[in-house]
Amino acid sequence: MTTVRARTDYPLVAHLLRRAGFGGTSDDLRDLASLDYETAVDGLIDAVDTTSLPDDLIRRYHIDQSDLRTRPSAGSYWVGRMVTTDAPFIEKVALFWHRVFATAQTKLIQGKVMSTQIEMFREYGLGSFRDILVQLSKNPAMILFLDNQDNHRDAINENYGREILELFSMGVGNYTEEDVKECARAFTGWTVANTDYMALKMRNNTMRPYGYIAWQFKYDESDHDDGEKTFLGKTGNFNGEDVIDIICEQPATAAFVARHMYHYFVADELPVPQWPHFPPKDPEAIRVMTDAYFESGYSIKAMLRALFLSDSFKSEAARYARIKSPMELVVGTIRLAGGYQRPGTDVYQATAASGFMGQDLLAPPSVEGWMGGSDWISTGTMVQRVNFASGIVGDIGRPGIRKLVDEIKASAGRDATAEALVDSCLELLGRLDVSDDTRSGLVNFATDAESSEPASRSESDQDHLITSILQLIVATREFQLV
Amino acid sequence: MNYIDTVGFGADIGGRGFHLPVDISVRSDGRVFVINRSPMHRRGIRIGICDVTHGWYGEFGSDGAGDGQFTGPTAITHGPDDRVYVADEELNRITVYSPDGEFESKWGEVGSAPGQIDGPSALKFTPEGDLLVVDHRNNRIQKMSPEGKYISSWGTGGSGEGEFNLPWGLDLDSAGNVYVADWRNDRIQRFSPDGEFIDMFGAHGDGEDQFNRPSDVAVDDGGFIHVADWVNQRVQVFDAEWHFQVSLRGQATVSPWAQEYLEANADELDARSRFNPYIEVDTDVPHEVSARVEAYFWDPIAVEIDPDGRLIVADSLRHRLQIYQRARK
Repeated sequence: MTTVRARTDYPLVAHLLRRAGFGGTSDDLRDLASLDYETAVDGLIDAVDTTSLPDDLIRRYHIDQSDLRTRPSAGSYWVGRMVTTDAPFIEKVALFWHRVFATAQTKLIQGKVMSTQIEMFREYGLGSFRDILVQLSKNPAMILFLDNQDNHRDAINENYGREILELFSMGVGNYTEEDVKECARAFTGWTVANTDYMALKMRNNTMRPYGYIAWQFKYDESDHDDGEKTFLGKTGNFNGEDVIDIICEQPATAAFVARHMYHYFVADELPVPQWPHFPPKDPEAIRVMTDAYFESGYSIKAMLRALFLSDSFKSEAARYARIKSPMELVVGTIRLAGGYQRPGTDVYQATAASGFMGQDLLAPPSVEGWMGGSDWISTGTMVQRVNFASGIVGDIGRPGIRKLVDEIKASAGRDATAEALVDSCLELLGRLDVSDDTRSGLVNFATDAESSEPASRSESDQDHLITSILQLIVATREFQLV
Repeated sequence: MNYIDTVGFGADIGGRGFHLPVDISVRSDGRVFVINRSPMHRRGIRIGICDVTHGWYGEFGSDGAGDGQFTGPTAITHGPDDRVYVADEELNRITVYSPDGEFESKWGEVGSAPGQIDGPSALKFTPEGDLLVVDHRNNRIQKMSPEGKYISSWGTGGSGEGEFNLPWGLDLDSAGNVYVADWRNDRIQRFSPDGEFIDMFGAHGDGEDQFNRPSDVAVDDGGFIHVADWVNQRVQVFDAEWHFQVSLRGQATVSPWAQEYLEANADELDARSRFNPYIEVDTDVPHEVSARVEAYFWDPIAVEIDPDGRLIVADSLRHRLQIYQRARK
């Protein structure tokens, strides 16, 4: 092992990796800690994916991940990306937008259009918020999810016009009912090609006769209301992009997006419907991000960079302040275990496991997405979380676990006491901080589990002891936090 | 090549039609056996039997590891006696059925020693009655007896002559020469009946003499070579000297089975009457173009020539076969 002088303290780097990614291995931590914190942040947020399995390999062995028709197929494809990428921040941000711009395959039926939306989040998710809103408004999955194909020049359907204001940009209290109608008028004619047949196949839930046809955005000028509109105090013959320009200029938009970011990356906030009635938990964090929003021309990456460099994010109080979402738990555990060099079936099991824990990928429960926070934890979901994670870390056949166990053995030493073994496990499991009570319980377990003196213990006994400790650690309260 | 017809219909839980067909084989009487690999719809995994004039003759096999079952079926071929041989890349075995699909036997052992297999992806009989197996994760072709006894093999991993990178389909010409779709090397390699390297053709790309992950090859009696250019979403045709002939993009029509379905669902028939199948797409990525234009091939995965010289293309993500025939001169 090469010893590298740490320039950033390990707990802070571990915190950053958990929030901007899915946690890290001891190698990841060491690499990042060798950098000053600002460089480490830039390295994470500027990373480009170079390690995801190529589509041709995935599609050869999983043909269902080529047409991506079903939710297990489309969800597993995404989990595969999250597990194998060396740019996890991009996937974490895609998950963020999936939660904010909640669109569900349960209505859309075909998974491919959901995958296309997620790909759009990968491509635009860290760019200008204006570009994101334009792409979102042209996104076929969003159009059919919020019925904009039924929004006509002579008969508006205000569903999308309302949600882009209420849920996607400004929040309740910052616009009028008249603004909603004018917004909807601006988006008339924003539909998909072959509207009738595509909408009918969705409604009838049928892949017959020849599978689904991927939807494509179509601007139908003949169905667009080009008349004068007054929106948020401005008047003109606005089209959808003009309305988005006005939305992006609003301080309320910056604050709304920033509060979502705080909720996802720093600490659990109140549910969104309560935001108009209660101030943000940390106004200073919101101010840092809204300043970055306007200074950068609405850049999402600039907002998040400012957040990660802020005292709010770096503070001790922010660490382990959130409950891991099921996807964070599932992906983080699998990344730790490694072994995804070629397409396998594990991604299907992982996708299903997340659903059992309460997060069905590509199927948020409502347009408000998942509430998160304590909603993630119930007796049933806790059992699922523990069973899944302990099943993974207890499998020493997985290359990442084998390596982890060897590192723990090397770190703790051959004659390690129960205390030393537990501390090594916590250290190498992503620098997990636990309470004194938790540590004491782990040490008691390790002491009781030792069947013989360290010196006379066989290698396989030692392996078994360490994986048993790891299994108990992933069942702790602290492992459920991020 | 003239487009003739489309056979098929999306049937993901069994019954008349296909779901994610991955390989086809034509029995001596012209009946077409189609492997349906339906990973997330396990009831859809089976072998269907049809003909090119829309006859349907039932199905056999199912998901599982028992006798006559499969979990990862990749390839099917008929022996000289019309027995059916099916390869499974997950169970690493070959299952033998009677000409009508009754289970008879199975063989295969995973590994890399001679006679062992790791990911069988294509099967074809030689004129002498030996079975060629594309042993794709071992990057080699193995010649076996129909009962699974090892005879010989050639190939290793690499990109040089006679080397492979995850090969997929294969075929033989009338002289017994062997053509292998060297999938991740983006080329077709030609070998003598004994496995001696003859030549190779293709490079990565989307030009006329290029491929992007060719998945299968079929050679007709005239020596014309048909390549399923999988990622490029097309079938390319060459003469025996590799001169480019034509590129097919697919032009499926509504099959009688599909028409029956539409007529039984009046709302869909009505909406489809206003459906423009050839929209102007906003992407140039072939896979995405195919996802938007129903008539095009979407992952054309296998090609086969029937006894009457027709080209049958397994259009996997559209759950159908597209049929072509060489124009008479």
